[in-house]
Amino acid sequence: MNATALPDARPEAAAGHLPRDGALAITGWGTVCSLAIGAEEFSAAVTEGRSGLRDVTGMFEDEDLPAAEACAMPDFRVRDHLGRKGTSFFDRSTSLALVGCSLALDDTDLAVGDDNRERVGIVLGTTAGSIRATGEYSRETLVQDRPYLVNPMLFPNTVMNCAAGQAAIRHRLKGVNATVAGGQLAGLSALRYARNLIRRDYADALLVGSVEEFSPHTAWGTHHLYAADDGRAPVGEGSAVFVVEDAAAVHRAGRLPDAEVLAVEVGTYAPADGRPEAGDRGRPGAAEGLATCIARALERAGAAPSEVWAVASGESGVEHRDAVERRGIEAALGTAAERLRVKRSTGECHSASGSLQIAALLGRHRIDPALDGRLSVVTSCSPDGAVGAAVLRGWHRARRDHRG
Amino acid sequence: MGRRVVITGLGPISSIGTGVGAFGPALRAGRSGISPISSFDASGFPHFMAGEVADFDPKALLRTVSPADWGRTSLFAAAAARLAVEDSGMDPEELSRSRAGSSIGTTSGESQVVERLTAEWVDRGLTGLTPELVRQVPASRLANAVNQELGLTGEAVTLSTACSASNYALGYAYDQIHTGDADYMIAGGADSVCRWAHAGFYRLGALTKEACSPFDKDRSGILTGEGGAALFLETLESATARGAHIYAEVLGYGLNCDANHMVAPDPVSIAECMRRAHHNAGIEPSDVDYICAHGTGTPANDAMESRAVIEVFGEEPPPMSSIKSMLGHTMGAASGFGAIASALAIDQGWLPPTVNHRTQDPELALIDPVPNESRPARPRVVQNHGFAFGGNNAITILGRVA
Amino acid sequence: MSQAVNADHLDELREIVAEVLEVEPEEITETSSFVEEHEADSLRAIEILARIEKKYGIDIPQSELPNMGNLRAVHDVVAQHAGWQA
Repeated sequence: MNATALPDARPEAAAGHLPRDGALAITGWGTVCSLAIGAEEFSAAVTEGRSGLRDVTGMFEDEDLPAAEACAMPDFRVRDHLGRKGTSFFDRSTSLALVGCSLALDDTDLAVGDDNRERVGIVLGTTAGSIRATGEYSRETLVQDRPYLVNPMLFPNTVMNCAAGQAAIRHRLKGVNATVAGGQLAGLSALRYARNLIRRDYADALLVGSVEEFSPHTAWGTHHLYAADDGRAPVGEGSAVFVVEDAAAVHRAGRLPDAEVLAVEVGTYAPADGRPEAGDRGRPGAAEGLATCIARALERAGAAPSEVWAVASGESGVEHRDAVERRGIEAALGTAAERLRVKRSTGECHSASGSLQIAALLGRHRIDPALDGRLSVVTSCSPDGAVGAAVLRGWHRARRDHRG
Repeated sequence: MGRRVVITGLGPISSIGTGVGAFGPALRAGRSGISPISSFDASGFPHFMAGEVADFDPKALLRTVSPADWGRTSLFAAAAARLAVEDSGMDPEELSRSRAGSSIGTTSGESQVVERLTAEWVDRGLTGLTPELVRQVPASRLANAVNQELGLTGEAVTLSTACSASNYALGYAYDQIHTGDADYMIAGGADSVCRWAHAGFYRLGALTKEACSPFDKDRSGILTGEGGAALFLETLESATARGAHIYAEVLGYGLNCDANHMVAPDPVSIAECMRRAHHNAGIEPSDVDYICAHGTGTPANDAMESRAVIEVFGEEPPPMSSIKSMLGHTMGAASGFGAIASALAIDQGWLPPTVNHRTQDPELALIDPVPNESRPARPRVVQNHGFAFGGNNAITILGRVA
Repeated sequence: MSQAVNADHLDELREIVAEVLEVEPEEITETSSFVEEHEADSLRAIEILARIEKKYGIDIPQSELPNMGNLRAVHDVVAQHAGWQA
C-alpha cells in the first residue's frame, strides 16, 4: 500500500472519502503540448499562467503557414521519447498520443502486467485522425506516376484508430480499445465512453484522452474558417491522457486518486455555427443545451452550482461561439466560479482541447492543497451543436506517496 | 437487472438496395452490388471494381438536413437513420422529444471531402482550400447529422474504430438503453468509397480484381464498398407497448484488442473476443445458430477467423457466411450491415449466402459458408463479427425475442 | 541463379531495407534474415518492395516476396526485374 498519510491531508482528501456510485478515479496523467510535457511541468505552467506560443516558421519544409506563431512543438520528435524502433512510421497524432500514454502510465500507481493487461484498455478522442497523414496518402494517388504507388507502411496511419491501436501494441494493452471522433467534444466523449466501459465491467482501467496534431493542413483549415476572428487563440497541438479506473475500486485498494470524474453529460442542439437546419425552429439552441448538460451533470454528481470553484471552458476567442458557451455556463452556474480559459495557454487544440482543459484543472489541484476535495466543471461546444459538461473533484498530489 | 433492448427498425443504404424492403430480398437472392468505380477516376488502377451506392439520392430520403451542407458519409448516416425510424413506425415528433441519441461507426469518416480538399491542395495549394469543405471534415459530423436530421437532443457519438466500428456503435447504443441513460438510440455506421483506401488495399495486395469470394480456396482479397447502415433500438417494453414489429433482441457484445499488429488478425485474440461476447450476452457457444462473418475475402482474415471460430465452437461450428461477397467491404458500415442481415435472418428465417463460391478451401473444411444460395433456417441466436485495423475486435450477439 | 553483385546497388538496397526495418544499415548483412534477425513482417516486406519499385521505376510482382528474405536475395530479384548487368 502506498497510501501514506501526509501531514497536510485534509479529512475529505484522505482515504476516508467515500466515492459516489459510478464515479471514475483518475490515478495519473500526462500531457504533451507546447506549454509543457508531463503532468508536473504542465501543472506549474498552468498555475503560473505561462503561454505555449512558439515561433513555427520553418517547421515544415514544403509548406508555408498562415501565421509565424502557433502553440506547436517544432522540436518534438517521437524518437526522443520512445526511441527509433517501431516509431519511424508514426504520424504526428500517433506520436503525440503515444507519448501522452507513456507519461500517464509513468504517473500512475496502477501497475500494468500480465495479470491485468486483458482488462486494461484505451479510449482516445480525435477529429479525423491524422489529417496530414491521410491527406498526404491521398495526394500520392494523384501525383505519383501510377496512382497505387503509395507506401504500405503508412496505410494504417490513414485510419482514425491508428493512435489507439499503436498505443495498445506498445504497452500490450489487450482490453477494450476505442477511438471516439468527437472534434471539440472528443475529450469529454472519450471520458463518457470510458465511464460506460468501467460501469459495465468491461474494463478495470483505461488510458483515456484525446489528441490533435499541428500541421499546415490544420493551420490553414482553421485559418480559412476563422480568419475574421482577430481575437481567437492561435492554433495548437497536443495530447492529454488520463489513467481512469473505478473510483470505488481505487478507494477499496486504499489508493488515493488525483481526481474523481463524477459525471459527463452530452447533448446535441441547434448549431452555433453555420446554417441552422430547417428543422431547428423551436429546438433549443446550444447555449440552453449546455446549461441543461451542466445541470444534469451536477445532479448526477449530487452537487449544487455554488460548490463549483472553477469552470475550464473551451472558449477560444471566436466570439459567436464563445457567446454560446458563456451563456450556457452562466445560466447553469452564475458567474461566481473562476473561469479557466485554457486555450489562452495551449492554443486551439481542437480534439485535444477538452482533455487539456481537464488537465488544467488537475494541474491546479496537483500543487494546491487548498483546493482539495473541491468541485469543478469542464465544458465543450462544437460548431455543429454538440455540447458537453463534466464534473470533477480533485486533490493535490503530495498527499500520495506516489512511488512509495 | 438492466432493461432488455430490441431492434424495431432497419435502415440500409447499400449497393444492393436502399431500405429494408429492397435490401432484404437482394441479400436473400445473393445479388452482387459490385460495379466499375465511378466516384473517382480509377483508370490508372489495375483493379477498378467496388461496391458503390450509385443511386444514392439524399434529397429524396432526408427531411431536415440539407445535402449541400454535409459530406457523403454523413448523408449516408443521416439517411439510413431516417429510414430506420420510418421502418420502426416510431412517431418522429415523439422521438425528438424523448431521451434519444445516436452512435455511428466509421473507418474513414468524410473521406470524399478529404479527397476533394487534397485535389485542391494539389491544384492550388493549401491557401486555396474551400472553407465549406474544411467545415465538413470532422468525423463527429456523422452522428451529429443523424441527431440533426431527427431532431434528437441526446448524445451523438461517432466511433472511429475502423472496420468493426458499427459493432462498437451497436454495443454502446445497447448499453445506453440497457442502463437507462437513453430510451431510444440509432446505431450503425457509414463510409464512402475513396481513392486512398482503394490504393492502400491494392498496395497491400489485399484487393481482388473482380469478385470477392470469402472462404473460397482461391480467394484473393477484398473489394471496397460503401453505404449507411442504421438500426433503431428501444426497450422491449416500449416496443411491446406501441405494438412495434420486433426484428431481434440485442443480447450483448464483446470488445477487445489484439495489441499485436496493426493489420494482421490474431486468432487467439478473436476467440477471446467471442468469449467476452458470449459472457456478456449470457449464452454458450452451443446457443449460436449462425455467424455473420467478418469474412473479408483475404487469405489471412478468413483463415484466422475460421481458426478462432473452431477454437471456440469446436469441430462443428454453426454456418458462417460473408455478406461482403455481395456488398464488398463497406468498412465502418460493414458490421452494421452484418447486424441488419442478422436481424433479418432471425426475423424472416433464412441465412444470407456467401456468393462467388467455387472451391471449398480444404484448410477451412469445417466451415459451412452457406455457399451461393441463401438457406431457410430458424436461427434463434446470431453472432455478428467485426474486426479491424488496430486489432479492434467487436462482436455483437442478437437473438429472437423469446 | 545468383547474379553478380553491384556494390552500389547493394548499398542502395541496404539503405532502403534498413529504413523500413528501423535498424542501422550496418546491421543488415547480405545474408541476415529479415524475419528471423530483424523482426520483419509481411507489411514491412511489401513496403520494401514498394520502395524498390518506386526508386527504380520497375514492377515486381508480390509473388516474389517469398524470394526476398535477405539483402542478397532482394538484390537478385531486383537485378532480374530491372535487367541489371553486373
